Amino acid sequence: MFRYFPFILKNTLRNRRRSILTISSIAVSLCILGVLMALYQAMFFGEPTPAQALRLITRHRVSLTQPIPISYREKIQRIPGVRGVMAWQWFGGVYKDRRDPNNFFPRFGAEPEFFFQVYPEFQIPDDEKQAFQHERTGAVISRTLADQMHFKLGDRITLVGDIFPVTLDLKLVGIFDEPSHAAILYFNRAYLRDALGANNPRQNEVGAFLIQAVNADDVPRIADTVDRQFDNSPFPTRTESEKAFQLSFAAFVGNLKLFIMAIFGAVTFTVLLVSGNTISMSVRERIREVGILKTLGFTPGAILSIILGESVFISIVGGALGCLLASGICGVMRKGPGGNFMAALRTLEISPAVAVLCIATALLIGLISSSLPAWSASRTSILDSLRSTG
Amino acid sequence: MAETVIETHQLTKEFVRDAFHVVALKEVDITVVRGEFVALMGPSGSGKSTLLHLIAAMDRPTSGEILVLGQNLRSLNDRAIAKWRNAHIGFIFQSFNLIPVLSAIENVELPLKLTNLSKKERLEHATTALQLVGLGDRLHHLPRQLSGGQEQRVAIARAIVTDPDLVLADEPTGNLDAGSAQEVLTLLSRLNKEFAKTIVMVTHDPHAAHFATKARHLEKAELLPEGQVPADWK
Ligand SMILES: Nc1ncnc2c1ncn2[C@@H]1O[C@H](COP(=O)(O)OP(=O)(O)OP(=O)(O)O)[C@@H](O)[C@H]1O
Ligand SMILES: [Mg+2]
Repeated sequence: MFRYFPFILKNTLRNRRRSILTISSIAVSLCILGVLMALYQAMFFGEPTPAQALRLITRHRVSLTQPIPISYREKIQRIPGVRGVMAWQWFGGVYKDRRDPNNFFPRFGAEPEFFFQVYPEFQIPDDEKQAFQHERTGAVISRTLADQMHFKLGDRITLVGDIFPVTLDLKLVGIFDEPSHAAILYFNRAYLRDALGANNPRQNEVGAFLIQAVNADDVPRIADTVDRQFDNSPFPTRTESEKAFQLSFAAFVGNLKLFIMAIFGAVTFTVLLVSGNTISMSVRERIREVGILKTLGFTPGAILSIILGESVFISIVGGALGCLLASGICGVMRKGPGGNFMAALRTLEISPAVAVLCIATALLIGLISSSLPAWSASRTSILDSLRSTG
Repeated sequence: MAETVIETHQLTKEFVRDAFHVVALKEVDITVVRGEFVALMGPSGSGKSTLLHLIAAMDRPTSGEILVLGQNLRSLNDRAIAKWRNAHIGFIFQSFNLIPVLSAIENVELPLKLTNLSKKERLEHATTALQLVGLGDRLHHLPRQLSGGQEQRVAIARAIVTDPDLVLADEPTGNLDAGSAQEVLTLLSRLNKEFAKTIVMVTHDPHAAHFATKARHLEKAELLPEGQVPADWK
């Protein structure tokens, strides 16, 4: 097989434009496949961090937009294995100008007294942590958001509510570092509650609870216990791990998994057809040479491996280029605004496993698309091959 | 008695395609012994190429027996035949049939790629073969950079580089001008005389046949007895 390689290389270079076009089409397709695989991996295979593995989120069973009573907190807190419970409120609202997508960073109401306990991986100086706990209008933001928006401590951040009929005038009191590099803001939920006014029933509602378990092994049991407890109440709940929640949050439109698979399948199928067609074209053109090689004593197997080899070579070069391209795209997506809404995007990368998978897919595409032309060329009789004027 | 290289009995080849039924070779008995240079002659369509293809095991007979170098060709499978051909047969085409993307030396090296020789040995052998055909100074030329006569000499080098027992040539001078044809025929004659190669050459050209040690004639798919020529033969 190896001694045919120089010959295979020369065959590849023979019709440079066609080889370049084939390599490009495989590279572009494999780039799409690579990004899809990276997305899939980041979202569905990403291992939760130890701190994340301890967290669960409880929300209304129907949807995240339906509130649940704040009174659930005591009941959840009493479940064995629960270390802490924090109310968690999606705020939405408008910051400054709607036209700048950077202004769409997510903001949540949280409880400062529990916040850094349930998020132990968030690093913040002690005095800033104290300030968050003591200033009712205080807000903390991630380093990523601070860098992106050029926020400094002491800045005023005004959020005009849309879901809630209030305007929050927040003061930036702390900047924390966190591993997922999300651009995110947390404010004191008590401020929102006060702003709603004493008679507003929404004072006693909350979007979700963040539960911290003592032990990661208890997480499934806790989720089960919580949901069973509120099964027959007017506000049934759904409790899931933070990882699963982030996914359902991102994927509430349709089935993301299926969607990724469908694109993956379509792209693979298309590139198979395209390269299959190109390869059978170039094999047809050279069928006479196949006859010459056979006359010289090349066995059908050797012919097969030369043709397969050429196609696999082209595909692997295309696959490697596609991988590089995909890794560039992942880099751009990692920094883009999408990560604000789907933390998994912040970890988007072409990991070695994805790269290997990508090249292996390319190799398979090369093998499959050339197998038919290679097989029929190896079977064509010498005289038929030599007679061909292709 | 010299060693028999080719021996056929009642060798017959028919082509059946759709409504057509062509007998290309009919009950041919031919014997070629080691060291002979046989010119195979006959009108167009008389079955010369067909006989040569059967001897080279590039096609299979419809009936009859064929023994080449003591090997019953009907008993080998495709893979074994390929290996056998690589080891024992050198084939020269009318239209040279070099691989256009490979240089002269790479073309000549091709059949050696199927042997156990190292790259260095392969290149040495290929160089020697090209020197023998007088192209020692054209090793790295591509086929399109060579004249027809030079291309055919590269093809001859490729046919003899494995040191085959039998060289088969199908109208090797058919595409060449008189001068180049003369060179090629002289070369084949040298291979026969100096290197004791057994050669079977198909040709239309009586002048070419003079380089051979013996001529055999085919007419309408049948081999004429030795010494006999077709009635309309000039
Ligand atoms: N693959 C094939 N299918 C059908 N008929 C064939 C095939 N190959 C050869 N023939 C027929 O067999 C006969 C002998 O052909 P062959 O090629 O051996 O002739 P030839 O003596 O070499 O002629 P030429 O001098 O023109 O090369 C011809 O009638 C030809 O049409
Ligand atoms: Mg012929």
